[in-house]
Amino acid sequence: MRTAYKVLAYLVAAEVAVQAMVIVWAIAGLGKWVDSGGVFDKAVIEGDDSAMPFPEVLGILVHGMNGMFAIPGLALLLLIVSFFTKMRGAIKWAVVVFVLVVAQGQIGFLGHDFPLAGLLHGLNAFAIFAVALYAARRVRPVISVGEKQPDAHTATPVS
Amino acid sequence: MTGSSRLTRFALPVLATALIIAPLAWLWQASRVPSAYSIMDMGYLDYGLGATTDPNAGGHAGHMQGDMHDDQSASRRLVSDMIVDPARPADVRVDLVTRQQMLTVGDRSIAGFSVNGTSPGPEIRARQGQLIEVHLHNESVADGVTLHWHGVDVPNAMDGVAGVTQDAVPIGGEFTYRFVAKQAGSFWYHSHQVSNPQVAGGLLGSLVVTPRSGIAQHVDVTAMAHSYEGIRTINGKAEDLRVPAQAGQRVRVRVTNTDNGPMKVWTSGPYRLLAVDGTDVHRPTEVSGQSVTLTAGARLDLEVRVPDDGSEVRVQLSKSTAVVVGPRGADVPAPAQPDADLDLLSYGSPTALSFDPTHATRRFDYHIGRRPGFVKGLPGMWWSINGHLFPNVPMYVVRQGDVVVMRIENHSGEVHPMHLHGHHVVVLARDDVAATGSPWWVDSLNVLPGETYDIAFVANNPGIWMDHCHNLKHAAQGMVAHLMYEGFDTPYRIAGSADNQPE
Repeated sequence: MRTAYKVLAYLVAAEVAVQAMVIVWAIAGLGKWVDSGGVFDKAVIEGDDSAMPFPEVLGILVHGMNGMFAIPGLALLLLIVSFFTKMRGAIKWAVVVFVLVVAQGQIGFLGHDFPLAGLLHGLNAFAIFAVALYAARRVRPVISVGEKQPDAHTATPVS
Repeated sequence: MTGSSRLTRFALPVLATALIIAPLAWLWQASRVPSAYSIMDMGYLDYGLGATTDPNAGGHAGHMQGDMHDDQSASRRLVSDMIVDPARPADVRVDLVTRQQMLTVGDRSIAGFSVNGTSPGPEIRARQGQLIEVHLHNESVADGVTLHWHGVDVPNAMDGVAGVTQDAVPIGGEFTYRFVAKQAGSFWYHSHQVSNPQVAGGLLGSLVVTPRSGIAQHVDVTAMAHSYEGIRTINGKAEDLRVPAQAGQRVRVRVTNTDNGPMKVWTSGPYRLLAVDGTDVHRPTEVSGQSVTLTAGARLDLEVRVPDDGSEVRVQLSKSTAVVVGPRGADVPAPAQPDADLDLLSYGSPTALSFDPTHATRRFDYHIGRRPGFVKGLPGMWWSINGHLFPNVPMYVVRQGDVVVMRIENHSGEVHPMHLHGHHVVVLARDDVAATGSPWWVDSLNVLPGETYDIAFVANNPGIWMDHCHNLKHAAQGMVAHLMYEGFDTPYRIAGSADNQPE
């Protein structure tokens, strides 16, 4: 379970990086397309799903699917796995990741109406990245005989 | 290891997991819809009388209710009975053949749909009061088709909504639409079976009803704006629409937005806005330096005058395309998009309404939100109506003759072009500011995020009518409610053997 926890937490952090990459890629593509005479408006945004006015639109789609399904899914899995991970603080940090991820989605949608929320969306991304990375790196190898780590030991309540 | 530590080690994590999974599984299960169902079984009844059959009150949240069929179904009237006198002969008879085919748009070939071999299909023109009879034959559209007469208050059986007012017409099938063109104005037709891809793919056309007395302009032109896989067109051509006209002539430009989002329309010279959604504006004044919003599904009739010096007038349909009116070769540059937009709340002059909205007999809320949840078994951020997700949405119930007031609020963060079938609604107020201009009648209303509209209409067209977002993607995502007259039922089913999928 420790390995699963570690991998899931790393995946969340990696996905945050992907989110930043694809959205900047999309905006760069939009800029180039507008530069060459393209008109970006609601008709384009709400256009045929098969229509790609410029190839970098894919970045917006990936950002949306990742943000709405993949990352919340990973965060939820991390939370569930944390229940079975015998390590002090495992649940706590999984909860923090999960809460930040849920908030990130809500802030993102809020930005559709209040663009200022976009600033918070960008900042919160760093928070998710940092916390997910920390949660992953907290996981130490499982104890072997003779070199017990206090961290792992205290996870089992003494009765 | 003691029993209690085993409990802690194994039972608690399992329990915690179950506490997360179980509600999600329950929400998922509740959001699924049967393989065939009547829209009468959707959601909950809202009588608009102050007391609502709220689904949560009865503990049925998220379920198909099935309670609207049960009582007195024998005495109910069917939507399929709502037709015009079959003995009355047609004045305008049109044959329309629908095909699934490749369309040439600009320099590209795209997969789409045609009506009589073209997209848009042929424009149907009739004079006010004439009976229009359209024979639809589906030659090759695999999912089936219907025709909805957008903006025309047709008898319910002619409304063309698959699974509500008819079955989708399969390949080789036929359907005859008959209705009287009571109202003069600009309308359009489009498929209401799998409408999101079919309308985007071009299964649409124009319908113009001219007044008995004719129109005052010298030239009358239709401009349907449509995007085919991102290619912007007017009347199916990826170029400006050139309309020959002489200096001094007045031209009526009927613009229709067949896409999913609002667009701005503006001109190089002054214009008058003659009609909105097929209803004349009362005493329209000349407008300069202002654009006007043409929402999805809506129509605007603009009057422009070719200048005496013989130069052209450009009517921009967004920045991409334009209707160019005037003598050939007298180019004017594309005008910059104005910062200001014409406010129809105060445009034109007020005049008496045909009914008194201050004495409403039904009051409804149509509050649009967006929240996480499941729709049709899929997780996501979904549109909600009065806090509920599809299919657990309100069924607005009225009686014939009711004066209905509806408050539309948009808290969803995105614009919604709201379209009520079978009726025209008049805007009473926006953001609690009362309308002061010409009566602003619409069938497709642009509701921006944060906006509130108070609208009113008379329940004078019995049946069961869709009341949905005309961003057809949003409709497919469940942003669909219905208006139902008491005592009505539909023999048709969503999905089922005819595979009716109205969105």
